[in-house]
Amino acid sequence: MNKRTEQIENLFAAGASRLLARAAENHSLTGETLIPRIRAAVGKYVLRDDPQAAPEVVKDFIDKLQADDLCLIVACEQGNQKAWGDLVERFSATVRSAARSASSNEEGAEDLAQSIWAELHGLRVRDDGKPAGKLAYYSGRGSLAGWLRAVVAQLAVDQHRKQSRLVQPEEDADFDRIIRHGQEENTWSGHGVAVNPELEISKKLAGAEMQKALAKSIKQLTAEDRLLVKLYYFDGLRLHEAGAVLGVHEATASRRLTRVHAELRQQVERILADQGWTKPETEQAFSEVALHLEADIEPLLATEGVLMKKENEIAG
Amino acid sequence: MKQANNNEVDLLLRSLARGRNESALQNRLGSGGGNQATPDHLDADELNSYAEGVVPAPARARYMEHLADCDACRGIVVSLTAAAGTATRSAASEQKGGVAFWQKLATLLSPAVLRYAVPALVLTAVIGISLAMWQQRRQHEFIAQNEPVGSSTSTRPSKQTESPTSPSTSETHSTIQKRGESPAATELFKEENNLQDDKTRVAQGAGSRTGEIASSALTAKDAGQPAELNDRLELRPGYAQEPKAAAPAPAASTLDEADKSNQVAKEQPAKREDQERQRDAYKNTPSDEHGPNRSAAPNTAGALSNRRLDGLSAGRGGPSGPEKKNKAGEKAGDVETRTVSGRRFAREGKLWVDTAYDSSRTPIKVARDSEQFRALVADEPELRAIADQLNGEVIVVWKNRAYRIQ
Repeated sequence: MNKRTEQIENLFAAGASRLLARAAENHSLTGETLIPRIRAAVGKYVLRDDPQAAPEVVKDFIDKLQADDLCLIVACEQGNQKAWGDLVERFSATVRSAARSASSNEEGAEDLAQSIWAELHGLRVRDDGKPAGKLAYYSGRGSLAGWLRAVVAQLAVDQHRKQSRLVQPEEDADFDRIIRHGQEENTWSGHGVAVNPELEISKKLAGAEMQKALAKSIKQLTAEDRLLVKLYYFDGLRLHEAGAVLGVHEATASRRLTRVHAELRQQVERILADQGWTKPETEQAFSEVALHLEADIEPLLATEGVLMKKENEIAG
Repeated sequence: MKQANNNEVDLLLRSLARGRNESALQNRLGSGGGNQATPDHLDADELNSYAEGVVPAPARARYMEHLADCDACRGIVVSLTAAAGTATRSAASEQKGGVAFWQKLATLLSPAVLRYAVPALVLTAVIGISLAMWQQRRQHEFIAQNEPVGSSTSTRPSKQTESPTSPSTSETHSTIQKRGESPAATELFKEENNLQDDKTRVAQGAGSRTGEIASSALTAKDAGQPAELNDRLELRPGYAQEPKAAAPAPAASTLDEADKSNQVAKEQPAKREDQERQRDAYKNTPSDEHGPNRSAAPNTAGALSNRRLDGLSAGRGGPSGPEKKNKAGEKAGDVETRTVSGRRFAREGKLWVDTAYDSSRTPIKVARDSEQFRALVADEPELRAIADQLNGEVIVVWKNRAYRIQ
């Protein structure tokens, strides 16, 4: 064991002792039982991105772990029945609430909530004879309630995927027609009466080129900016919600979005220039896009409403 | 132009998102899968840690990279963030107590804060003390100027006729410096200050006398007739030449300082009234104190001293009577206006109204905490600046539309 590893291991041991001291209820755990969990958490969140992280960083990370929650989960994993009782008693409401959010009906929510406890405990058995449940994956970094919500949400997504693999129902063929109809009717460059077919085709091609360039430009944004664009435009979040996901204030998100608009426009212009577009052509194409999209916004919103309704029905 | 460009990109993005959502929906229906392009999804612990904002920065950047491309994980994070936000708010409202106070105190007294706070505090203290001392000096001058002009008649004849201008020390300094005659005059100041230290009987009126001496020295210098300092001290004039009507009663300079102070204190209220009357008179008198005949103009000295009195009284308690009246008149007559983001607003009660607003038009009502408002300011950030800077309701005309922000 080299000096660095030894130093880190010492930090884990000392951190485990402090963690036990911080916990209101340590469930008769010892430092040794916590060290593997701490090691895994530090490796996952700190050492993976910075293998040479300073000891202070590691110590600080350990000291910010949720002592009570981590002790409870480790005790449950050790088979402590009292700890299990505590867990179910304290968090059954949280799990039910999360299940209701993830399911469209009460029955589905109840099934989901029940299956969560089974998932946590583990239906299979590991090599060491202990159940291979999800409890092993709680690091203590975030709150236990939040982690349980995340587990419920992931399980709901998995169940939804399994159900979606079933054959597409007959009635959805109608929905496909709605989508196709919407696409044909509401493509920005194709809306309205075509006075000049040649001009319309040209506009459609220009619009397609522009959208392609825009999609390419989005990929070239930084991860944070791309996430903001996805949250705001693709997921339909409000600015303050998108800001919350990014960990910034709504005003910051708004300013960032304005900057992203400018960057995207520059990038699109650059891409189109590489494809031989002149500056006036690009300007004109942008103006026409704005003109057509503004004119089309009403019918598009109406169709979007239908699509959303149908999507919700399917998800439910 | 820039805003229009942004709007075009905004519309394009909306269009792109709509098309993508539709195709994603079709894919979901057709193949039964969502966005499966990213195989290594974040686990529940990572998703929750991200949503609660407790992930170290490098790991957070990595997760953002994934979330930007993974619809499923992003969806979970969005729901977890909403739940975590609610939980945090309720926890924060519960935890307003001793621990938070001590934490705040500890933060306030942390070395990182003190490193900057201590020098700032010292600097503030130095500035404050300097200001206080300066004020005190000015106050002494003020007391001295109220000293009866004829008080020294027995020992020093008035030099009013010789040097009608009797500017204060600071004025004299500045005058000297402006004229570029500072070396000799500065020497005079130094000598005079040394002499002052020796003269124990001249205490309270020192500042004023210094100015008087300097001014007479300056006058003498102008005339090319330097005089002996002791003579000047004895022959120093009163503070300012004042009209007869406002002239104070004479007092003996040989009185001891306590008696003199008491006398001055008694005379001050009446004196101030006189000075205010003088100021009124001065305002009606055309002055040319900056002109070449400054020292020769008999009224100018009074005007200068009155100006200084104006400054002093303004420093002590705001404008004098007539000024107060004028300001009150302005307040009553004028409408409060402000200019924000290039637009001018007039206040009508609690309402700020854009001066470009035509009252015949019906404004679009927008509540500040509404989604409509957020969308509006997202598109027009300058409207946010206006709404932020003007409290209460605001009617603003923006791009040929009138909005009433409530």
